[in-house]
Amino acid sequence: MITTVTLNPALDITMELDKLVPDRYNAIKTVSRIPGGKGINISKAIRVFDLDTMALGFLGGHAGHFVAEQLRDYGITTNFWHIEEETRTNVVIIEKDKKTHTLLSDPGPKITKHDLDRFIAIFSRVMAQSKIVAISGSLPKDVPDDIYQKLIKIAQEKNVQTILDAPDIPFKKGLEAKPFLAKPDLRASKNRIFNKQVDSCETAINIAREIVNRGIQIAVISYHDTKDIIATQDRVWLAESIDQQAVNIVGTAEAVIAGFAIKFAQEKKEDMVDIIKFAMACGLASALTDEEEFHTQEDVIKCLSCIKVSELK
Amino acid sequence: MKIKDIMLKNTTSVVPDCCLGEVVEIMAIQRINGIPVVDDEQKVVGFISQHDIIKELLPNYLGIINSSSFITEFIQLSKKLKEYANHKVKEFMKKNIITINEEDNEVMAADLLIRNRIHHLPVVRDGYLVGIVTMRDLLKAMIEEEENEQDKIQ
Repeated sequence: MITTVTLNPALDITMELDKLVPDRYNAIKTVSRIPGGKGINISKAIRVFDLDTMALGFLGGHAGHFVAEQLRDYGITTNFWHIEEETRTNVVIIEKDKKTHTLLSDPGPKITKHDLDRFIAIFSRVMAQSKIVAISGSLPKDVPDDIYQKLIKIAQEKNVQTILDAPDIPFKKGLEAKPFLAKPDLRASKNRIFNKQVDSCETAINIAREIVNRGIQIAVISYHDTKDIIATQDRVWLAESIDQQAVNIVGTAEAVIAGFAIKFAQEKKEDMVDIIKFAMACGLASALTDEEEFHTQEDVIKCLSCIKVSELK
Repeated sequence: MKIKDIMLKNTTSVVPDCCLGEVVEIMAIQRINGIPVVDDEQKVVGFISQHDIIKELLPNYLGIINSSSFITEFIQLSKKLKEYANHKVKEFMKKNIITINEEDNEVMAADLLIRNRIHHLPVVRDGYLVGIVTMRDLLKAMIEEEENEQDKIQ
């Protein structure tokens, strides 16, 4: 079982219309309601490969019930702690005439100490049936920024392989618990981490090395839409996707994490280059679709030939 | 049909030391009327339903629910609930519970539900809770299967 943690999930509503006119009645052409959040997206990608996955986190209100039901429809097992406040809703308005995307972001619910204690208890119990846990995404209001560190330690006590994909301070604190794989989400920190700007292959290599020097087995740094650096204790690779035009890069990072989790869960002895290729193919397949995740295993397999992995000396 | 394809993939559960008040709150907030009780490793050790709670707090209440005295007794039930809110789930849960393996089929599930006069069957894999199945899930699956058969014929 691959478990995913989404502490700040969302109901993403996308509305498409020709033109939004203020102070007027606007008829929407299409509307979609999709569960969102990094961990949830990872679980959705894992389900495409028919593997068992369980989603954990906080849900609340009608939006929360809707998200849980949708996830179960995807075949994802749910074990959320339900809170009193409503799960946040993000609204994207697409104006076709102007070709604009306007995002209205909800700050999200308040999580109490009681809620957090109950979530940690669920997390701890579920680790007994998990092989891998992917801990990812931003934190809701009032959740301490060392929560990921705490969760990683609990998982490690139960011999569960841990993957951390988080922004800024929760990432840095999470690193102290030495997760198996770590990937910083650099969007919120404007591509900065450890007081350095990640804007080139060289800086990405340095950051990846710094992460593995802190005792993490695998570091993944995305420094460009199509280029990632992957480092282990003694090796570094550059993974690039070639000859493809991305349609939507939202969800690409989650697809890459899902790719690594799928390969680790299969427990086959595979060369690291093949594991990286597969994970990056998952990311590329996601970037080539309008939605956050790829739809079929074939989407990923087709992308394998478009991934070039070279070892850097 | 395998149970894993029919079951509700929700593993909401409580531990035996959870308070009754909290269980009632979980049932209300998640709109469910029964919860599997698990140990520290998510292995099923019991089951608690609204029925079990009411039966334990006010044994005659279920018998009079359709009579006019149900309102006065309801106040009594509410008092009892407050009184027992901090009592542990282990005092109220069914311990000899019946579970079903996710690889079993719908006929076996229906047989277990009917023969044991229960409404929920926790679904397990190697003893770990992986879902829950009710008669409603079985009926829904049967109707969907029938519709799929009809579609194939057409």
